[in-house]
Amino acid sequence: MVDLTQYLPILIFLVIALGLSGLFVFLPMGVSRLTGAHKPSKDKLAEYECGFPAFEDSRHQFDVRFYLVAILFIIFDLEAAFLFPWAVSLDLTGWAGWITMMVFLGELLIGFAYAWKKGALEWE
Amino acid sequence: MSTILLIVFLPLVASIIAGFGNRSIGNVPAKIITTGALFISCGLSWPIFLSYLAGTAEPGVVPVLQWVHSGAFSFDWALRVDTLTAIMLVVITSVSALVHLYSWGYMDEDPDQPRFFAYLCLFTFAMLMLVTADNLVQMFFGWEGVGLASYLLIGFWFKKPSANAAAIKAFVVNRVGDLGFMLGIFGTFLVFGTVSIPEILAAAPGMAGAKLNFLGMQFDTMTILCLLLFIGAMGKSAQLGLHTWLPDAMEGPTPVSALIHAATMVTAGVFMVCRLSPMFQAAPDAMTFVTFIGGVTCLFAATIGTTQWDIKRVIAYSTCSQLGYMFFAAGVGAYGVAMFHLFTHAFFKALLFLGAGSVIHSMHHEQDMRYYGGLRKKIPVTFWAMMAGTLAITGVGIYWLHAGFAGYHSKDAILEAAFASGTDMGRSAFWLGAFAALLTSFYSWRLMFLTFWGKPRWAQSEHIQHAVHHGHHDSDHANPAAQEDAGHDVHHHAPSPHEDDGTAGYHPHESGLVMLIPLILLSMGAIFSGYVFSPFFVESESFWKGSIAFNEHLIHEMHGVPFWVKISASIAMLAGLAVAWLAYIKDTSIPGKFVAQFSQVHAFLYNKWYFDELYNFLFVRPAFWLGNVFWKRGDVGLIDRFGPNGAAWIVERGAVVAKKIQSGYLYSYALVMLLGLIAAISWVMVR
Amino acid sequence: MELKQSLGLIAPEILLSIASLVLLLVSAWAGDKASRAISVVACFVLGACFFIVAPTVCAGVAGPDVVAFNGLFTADAFSGFAKLLIFAATGAALVMAPKFFERTNSMMPEFPVLILLAALGMCLMVSATDLMTLYIGLELNSLASYVLAAFLRNDERSAEAGIKYFVLGALASGILLFGMSLTYGFTGSTDFGTVRAALTGDMSTGAMFAVVFVLAGLAFKISAVPFHMWTPDVYEGSPTPVTAFFATAPKVAAVSLLMRVSLDAFGMQADAWRQIVLFVALASIVVGALGAIGQSNIKRLMAFSSINNVGFILIGLVTGTVQGASAMLVYLAIYIAMTAGSFLAIIMMKDEAGAPVEKISDIAGLSRTKPALALCLAMMMFSLAGIPPLFGFWGKFVVFQAAVEANLVALAAIGIAASVIGAFYYLKIVKVMYFDEPADVVKGQSDWAHWALLIISTAFISPLGYLLTTWLGGIADKAAATLFLVAA
Repeated sequence: MVDLTQYLPILIFLVIALGLSGLFVFLPMGVSRLTGAHKPSKDKLAEYECGFPAFEDSRHQFDVRFYLVAILFIIFDLEAAFLFPWAVSLDLTGWAGWITMMVFLGELLIGFAYAWKKGALEWE
Repeated sequence: MSTILLIVFLPLVASIIAGFGNRSIGNVPAKIITTGALFISCGLSWPIFLSYLAGTAEPGVVPVLQWVHSGAFSFDWALRVDTLTAIMLVVITSVSALVHLYSWGYMDEDPDQPRFFAYLCLFTFAMLMLVTADNLVQMFFGWEGVGLASYLLIGFWFKKPSANAAAIKAFVVNRVGDLGFMLGIFGTFLVFGTVSIPEILAAAPGMAGAKLNFLGMQFDTMTILCLLLFIGAMGKSAQLGLHTWLPDAMEGPTPVSALIHAATMVTAGVFMVCRLSPMFQAAPDAMTFVTFIGGVTCLFAATIGTTQWDIKRVIAYSTCSQLGYMFFAAGVGAYGVAMFHLFTHAFFKALLFLGAGSVIHSMHHEQDMRYYGGLRKKIPVTFWAMMAGTLAITGVGIYWLHAGFAGYHSKDAILEAAFASGTDMGRSAFWLGAFAALLTSFYSWRLMFLTFWGKPRWAQSEHIQHAVHHGHHDSDHANPAAQEDAGHDVHHHAPSPHEDDGTAGYHPHESGLVMLIPLILLSMGAIFSGYVFSPFFVESESFWKGSIAFNEHLIHEMHGVPFWVKISASIAMLAGLAVAWLAYIKDTSIPGKFVAQFSQVHAFLYNKWYFDELYNFLFVRPAFWLGNVFWKRGDVGLIDRFGPNGAAWIVERGAVVAKKIQSGYLYSYALVMLLGLIAAISWVMVR
Repeated sequence: MELKQSLGLIAPEILLSIASLVLLLVSAWAGDKASRAISVVACFVLGACFFIVAPTVCAGVAGPDVVAFNGLFTADAFSGFAKLLIFAATGAALVMAPKFFERTNSMMPEFPVLILLAALGMCLMVSATDLMTLYIGLELNSLASYVLAAFLRNDERSAEAGIKYFVLGALASGILLFGMSLTYGFTGSTDFGTVRAALTGDMSTGAMFAVVFVLAGLAFKISAVPFHMWTPDVYEGSPTPVTAFFATAPKVAAVSLLMRVSLDAFGMQADAWRQIVLFVALASIVVGALGAIGQSNIKRLMAFSSINNVGFILIGLVTGTVQGASAMLVYLAIYIAMTAGSFLAIIMMKDEAGAPVEKISDIAGLSRTKPALALCLAMMMFSLAGIPPLFGFWGKFVVFQAAVEANLVALAAIGIAASVIGAFYYLKIVKVMYFDEPADVVKGQSDWAHWALLIISTAFISPLGYLLTTWLGGIADKAAATLFLVAA
């Protein structure tokens, strides 16, 4: 017999999550209906998806610079993510850990300098 | 003793230089290198021979290289020098050197001279290797080497189909003999546990009478071994049964016939029997067989020689016949006498061939004696050289002076030894030999009379007409022409108006000095070699120094044979001369009448006892049939179809498929990868 | 101190990293005109690394003394041997490149930097004794390689090669990562030694999956059938110096890595992977040979040739013996020389305008127009076909000998038979060069550096190479033995 009681927190969590998400979806709709003018248009009814039209042929050209920025963003995003576990374990890793991270940051910095010099950060 | 190394290997080096240098070094350097090497070899050989004559030399072995060491089967490259070898050395190097020199003139117009001289040198090297062999395997190496060189030289004019056919025939017939020789070597190793010649010979007398069990039957060991070895000798020395290749070998250039198919290679069989004489001494039955074959060949070949028209074929059959003499001498135990005949024969037979070559050379490659005649005055030096050779081969000499031409001494000794041996087979061989001597005399003189006496008859010769009509006798008369002529048969035109004198306006002229010098030198040999060397070869055991089995008793008996035996050869010679003179000088209609009267006998002899036809029927055609079956059904139909061609087909299809799979599309590539992964996992799971 | 010792052991890697970073900055500020200088510096860096590593190989160092960072990395003789080959091949690629790119003004200073980064990645691969190090090395090398494949940005074929390599490489990386995570899941460690200890006896199904996935991921890198599909397209499309690089250095690194993973980490489960490797080896030999026959582009042909050769190398792995591993190293060394030499000859074949000649029909009759070049290429082809007395024969010989001594006679026999098919297309090139009517396309001159390198590699694969057999075999034996220390 499985002890179902230990799944209770999950159930509670699900209920709260459902409630909150429902609230977030329907509350703005209700408020806008009550407060503003209801003038639906094609653009307003379209889904919002990262700046791209959602239903379209995926094979079309777009600016490669978008990816360039995105890749640079991901790199530094991950760097930041990597810094957290390093920071909390610094007392264990000591100077070796510190130096290693500085090397890592230095390498990223060099990459960043290269990208900057090459003009990867300029949109035009 | 290291001079022997030079003697043997100089020709090899020269052959390699001339053969691989070929056209890049040019005709003259190739000829100078090869001929020079041979003359040096020759110059080094004679002192060795003379030291044996003087009795100052000691036999020895010069090691060269390690060869095979595999358990009990162990032997090295080593050069053995003793009396027997020394004799062969001078014979080979002298005749070879002279033939090289002679070829300068004879092959002058040939476009492939370096190749020719390289082959000649290669042959000489192989022959020297054969006679200096210290073990049977090394001897076999030389044996095959001379076979190869002979093949190459017979087929030297490879554009002539007949030359190619003759070369193949020589090779194939020799294979039969070689198989016997090989089996003999295997058997010898099996019985004696060694292939070293001195060890075998030392052990041979002890093996006499030993029995060998084969397929449940008892055989006399030594008889079997000696018969096998003798089959090898029969092949190389063209004895009855395996002789058919020798006359055809005359398709090669004439100097080749002189060197290989008269003076040296064909005597290898005799040499081998003498070298292994202690073995043969231990096998009386084999000796009887050797005597029988020798005697029969001697007569058989002589009978054919009387009917042939081609000058070279006559001499070829004469060679065959003389080899028969040597073998029955060896068969009755007179090995020294056999070697003596080998020695003298080398000189006079080389002389006859080179003389014939000189005649052919001046007659614009006409070889048919029916179109000769009256050449005595036109080419006097050649005539006198041929005369010396004929006197030597027919054995002209004066009994009371104990002096005569070369053949007189050696052939008489052979007949005496055969008679003195006292065995039935020896006696039979004596009668066969005596009658053959008569025939020898007849066909030799017939050759001389047809060629040098009488009136010129060459107007009807196709070759001569070719020369006269084209008017460029000097530029076109040599071997390129022979190669061009290959295709069409020689046919004879109707007499032209101005041929009253039978010359058709063609005037043969004497060959150049390079061809005449060898003739003159060989004439010296033909005249004097018998008289000078007879005491050593025949009588002196100390000369041989144990290199052959020397039968003292037989030599003693030889002196005691009746007087009529001693002069039998001379009588036979005179009888043959008389018949030839009657038929070809006195009344030239006699041969025609004889042929008309005994047409079947003549046809039998003229067609060489129908041996070729018989072999064709018995061996050649069945072999071709069998070969065709294996070729068409077995090889093409089965092996090629499912083997190489089938595999190639699969590979071809596979390549097409592999190319198709490589489509260039990413998704198909990814699919293949994933399928591979799935397959690997499935394999691991189900295993 | 442990860290100091570890840092000492990775001296070549440190040198490579610093050099590549510094050169990257130089390339950014100095611009295209510094390309040649940067290439030269990169060559010197590789040379320095070579001389740092060489003594350890000759000494045959092994054991815990050369393990760095608590078992993440080892600098044993085996990795050293592979590194020497990698440095040599990388250096050859650097020498080949400038002339090739300069014609179209596409030589950029990033090329040597990328090559150095790839070399660094390969050094990590061959020294990895932990799945983490392995993956970092592999990806560092791969990412650099993707860029290199597409180095001629304006050339369609080069871009296509880059994207194909990238997509399929990502797929392979995914497979590998999945395998690694399974391995970790079933053994509780990423360390090779611990994995080895955990994978003894009967394996669970999941662990089997782990082994297969890891090996499949690595098989992609060595382009073994059926993970070879990318090879012809990428080799054809990439700039020739890059192709030469792909065909040599990463092969060494990936094969060495595969050896270490299969013999060390999965060494106790040899029965599980042996038959797969056996099949992959034979399939590579056959597919490589068959695929090459129909090709008209010589670079494509060389791609199939590399697949074919990988098959032969894998035969050594199937044996699972020290002798087999040593034979693989010897084969790799000879293979590097043959392949680099062949590509050098290909690069040196230029038409009148200096454009590269790649069609096999265009080199017809090369023996009459460029006899020296034709001779070198012909020797390479004979050697690749494994025809004695050229050195390529020795490589095949030692591999087959190892197979025979491991009682894999049938495998050796099939391998030898299949090498006959391979001989066909190698000899076809020789035939085209020597017996066909001259096409008279190849006209361009080559500079001295190419000639020097070509002559060195030709001398190495010529019968002179046999003078090295004792020495080469000796250090290969030593290197291979270090791989088996863990087993003892």
